Amino acid sequence: MTLQRLARPLTLVLLSAVVLYPLVWMLGSSFKSQEEVLNNMSVLPNVWTPGNYLDGWNNFDVSFGRFFVNSALVAGLTVVANCVSCLLAAYAFARLKFKLRGFWFAIMIGTLLLPGHVLIVPQFVMFKTFGWVGGDWPYAPLIVPQLLATEAFFVFLMVQFMRGVPRELDEAATIDGCTPYGVFRHVILPLSRPALVSTAIFSFIWTWNDFFRQLVYLSDLEKYTAPVALTLFIDSSGQSSVGPMFAMSVLSLAPVFLFFVAFQRMLVEGINTSGLKG
Amino acid sequence: MTASHPLPRRRVLSGLVAAMVALPLALGACSSEDKPAADGKVELSFFWWGGEARAQITEQALALYTSKHPNVTFKKTWQANQGYFDKLATLTAGNDAPDIFQIDDNFLAEYATRNVTADLAEYSKSGKIDTSKFPKGLIEYGTVDGKLAGLAFGENTQGLVYNKTKLEAAGVALPTTGQSWEDHIAWAKDAAAKTKVAGTMDPSADYKAFWVWLRQQGKELYNGKELGFTQADVQAWFELWKGARDAKATPTPDVIHEGNATDVTKQLVVTGKALTSWVWANQLPELQKNTKDQLGVIAYPGDASKQWPRASMYFSVYRGSKNKDVAADVLNFLANDPEAGKILGTDRGLPSNTDIRTQVAASTDNASMKETIKVTGELAKNFGPAPTVPPKGHSTVRSELIKAAEEAQYGRATPAQAAEQFFAASQAAISR
Amino acid sequence: MSPVATTTARHTPTVPPAGSAAHQRRDRPARHRSESKAGYVFLTPWLLGLVTITAVPMLMSLYLSFTNYDVLSDWESMEWVGLDNYRTMFTEDPSFWHAVKTTLVFALVATPLKLAAALGVAVLLNKGFKAAGLFRGLFYLPSLLGGSVALAIVWVNMFNRDGAFNSFLSWFGIEGKAWVNDPDFALGTLILLAVWQFGAPMVIFLAGLKQVPNELYEAASVDGASPVRKFISITLPMLSPVIFFNLVLETINGFQGFTSAFVLSNGTGGPVDSTLMYTLHLYIKGWNEYQMGYASAMAWVFLLAIGLVTAVVFRTGKFWVHYSDGED
Repeated sequence: MTLQRLARPLTLVLLSAVVLYPLVWMLGSSFKSQEEVLNNMSVLPNVWTPGNYLDGWNNFDVSFGRFFVNSALVAGLTVVANCVSCLLAAYAFARLKFKLRGFWFAIMIGTLLLPGHVLIVPQFVMFKTFGWVGGDWPYAPLIVPQLLATEAFFVFLMVQFMRGVPRELDEAATIDGCTPYGVFRHVILPLSRPALVSTAIFSFIWTWNDFFRQLVYLSDLEKYTAPVALTLFIDSSGQSSVGPMFAMSVLSLAPVFLFFVAFQRMLVEGINTSGLKG
Repeated sequence: MTASHPLPRRRVLSGLVAAMVALPLALGACSSEDKPAADGKVELSFFWWGGEARAQITEQALALYTSKHPNVTFKKTWQANQGYFDKLATLTAGNDAPDIFQIDDNFLAEYATRNVTADLAEYSKSGKIDTSKFPKGLIEYGTVDGKLAGLAFGENTQGLVYNKTKLEAAGVALPTTGQSWEDHIAWAKDAAAKTKVAGTMDPSADYKAFWVWLRQQGKELYNGKELGFTQADVQAWFELWKGARDAKATPTPDVIHEGNATDVTKQLVVTGKALTSWVWANQLPELQKNTKDQLGVIAYPGDASKQWPRASMYFSVYRGSKNKDVAADVLNFLANDPEAGKILGTDRGLPSNTDIRTQVAASTDNASMKETIKVTGELAKNFGPAPTVPPKGHSTVRSELIKAAEEAQYGRATPAQAAEQFFAASQAAISR
Repeated sequence: MSPVATTTARHTPTVPPAGSAAHQRRDRPARHRSESKAGYVFLTPWLLGLVTITAVPMLMSLYLSFTNYDVLSDWESMEWVGLDNYRTMFTEDPSFWHAVKTTLVFALVATPLKLAAALGVAVLLNKGFKAAGLFRGLFYLPSLLGGSVALAIVWVNMFNRDGAFNSFLSWFGIEGKAWVNDPDFALGTLILLAVWQFGAPMVIFLAGLKQVPNELYEAASVDGASPVRKFISITLPMLSPVIFFNLVLETINGFQGFTSAFVLSNGTGGPVDSTLMYTLHLYIKGWNEYQMGYASAMAWVFLLAIGLVTAVVFRTGKFWVHYSDGED
């Protein structure tokens, strides 16, 4: 019995040690001097160089904090946009019967399948036509598409979750006189919290880590986001600041980690369907 | 879509999509029309890759230009080289390329032969861009199809960097310029035995080493738009280095693979996994920053006069720029103004203007920078004529060479098989 | 009877034969017209996005796949080449088939392993205990790194000759290799990297597990069912929509696997093409060699192939995915 009780924590601790080792190594390396990062493979630095954090933060004309603020802005807006727009589309696909539903659903899945690298140029040309490229607020190409539920991944995610919600709840509501809009408002919306939280977490983290699109559309150092700024440390043909790069990478993990810890609680509390009766 | 009725459908489709493509371009052109304003104010976009240090001095030099020409301002964008060419290509595709952009010889022909770059020859002839103080080879090395596609902004040449500290500690004689390739390999074997560190990086995957070696055999990497060597040449090159590997003069294949990356921080002389690295001479100061050991630089083995003044990078002007004349004036300023030259230093290579080069050499107090300038200066006295800029397809040839050489290094192919594979692949690449 | 109780009744530990629930609710009244209208109302943002943002670039890339478009030249100089790109791909590009093989190996090995890891850990973490939240965060951390520069350096150092993995092996007297630099093992390290980042599907599993009504487990406990029995008869069927979602998505991700191959090999697919994934080959063709027409053709072949795989997965889903909404 004790063995059984110990099995779970033991497994978890061992597993997390393995999973976390590379990250601990990264943390350790963020305190190594450039020369040590390249030559010393052990976790701990021989000489602690906390200066990496200060150097990394102040490495550019613009403080690294600015890049974090920009990233947070883009990621935050993306989260809101995705949650709202994808939820609407998902409700239609998951619960409502309408003409061509199967067709549109297949198209939606289809948009997930095309490798993005061939879309960059056509998209750039298109957004330029819209007048979204450059200007004082260059983030439009990164955010407006999310307002229109173009991130099919999240639509599909929410569809799958909604289909796990018993249909009886809708029907009870319908019998009580709810229209499809009422069902959405009073049944689906409150029950979609796990799906919404998952969507929020993923939107935030993916946007926080996205490189290629942000690279293409942001051209002003002051407007750069963290992933674009992180690459500035390493110019492989010349000057490279590996230590500060590690330091800033560690720092850029912090907000996403906190975001996750804050929101995962909402996943775990779960939903109490019986509380919604009546 | 069958081949029997290609025409009608093709016309409909291409008509449709041509309209789709043309519409954005037409509209895009209206919205981005930056006509020089009546008051003569001009904003030039300026795009380069590099690190923070380069960003600072470039911004300083541009600010200096603005202070002398207050009507000209700059929209500056810089990036590390990761993603730089992806972004440049995307901007170009959107007819939105920067007025002035940095480029190197791997990409110059790709852009020039597709008419992205403006021909700077007329500016050079009229003296609006003064190239009279440039070494002749440096201008030739920026010429593609008779057009001056890029203004060389820095010169460098191949350099063999070695670990002085480790060699001296083990009492091994330092390598010298003028050793033959066989001598160098024999030296590396001896050095490896005495220092317990691999003697020399195996450069068989490195196009610049292959290129120098070819020129010493009376061949070229390219003759215009064709390959300048035969399959037998490649095989001899691969066999030379198989010999070196068999003699334990080089590291093991997995370590060689690490060294095959071009990053400064991955060079084996920096990571302590070999006593030499095959790099560009102007990389010595950056290499030195990454190791405590003292480094030195010499020419590649063989006849050093077969090396050439290579433009480490260029500035090109976008053909669609509305302010080409101003852009040319800016380039002239950056290349020839003594004050600008002092600010820019040797960050992009030795200054193209030899007067400025002398001035910068005299004022620097960085020891490895001094050595670079000294070694390059000595080599430059004997430089032969420069080859032509690598043609379109060069980047594929480079990666095919790495692939074939690694096949041989890992023992998955004989030198003959690897040579056959590389020769066929590179022929296909440049004839496209 | 509360709605939940109804569900409980339908999903008793002995799962009803697939499809039987579906037949019960095919006869819903004629609310269809208003529902159809509402459907399109809710779909409007997505449809708008499809038409204005998604469709145009996709169709353009389809058109480009029949041209010799090279990114840099003027659009006017682009030429129609018919099926040439497609023909070249299948008959003249040896790297194409090599990339197909590499991608298949990667996707078929990495996807199941990653999903198994994600599900296993999610089940371990599902029970409420004090440190569960912390562990959830910790296991999710690797995914947060995405495909950053830092990640590439970290991973290379873990699996290099003098890396941590070999230190571990040396405890058992095994002398390791430079795994990342060995053409026979480099793909293996990529697969491990994919499995290591199991956090994303794990989070989705966790969220799905929360939707399983506790009453089911309680009822099963009363019947004396063992934990394994409960997992097979309750957890798996109730979780099947989410498993299905993760399976579809991770299969697509596995086949698209670009980022890690790109950062670990410096964009080359080396050593000796051992990590040359399909999408990486596509990227090199389009962005390094400026054959964007060819790259677009590769992308559309990819879309068709993965579309087929996805369709098959959807088909099989009918046999093992149980939706509480009574449809399949």
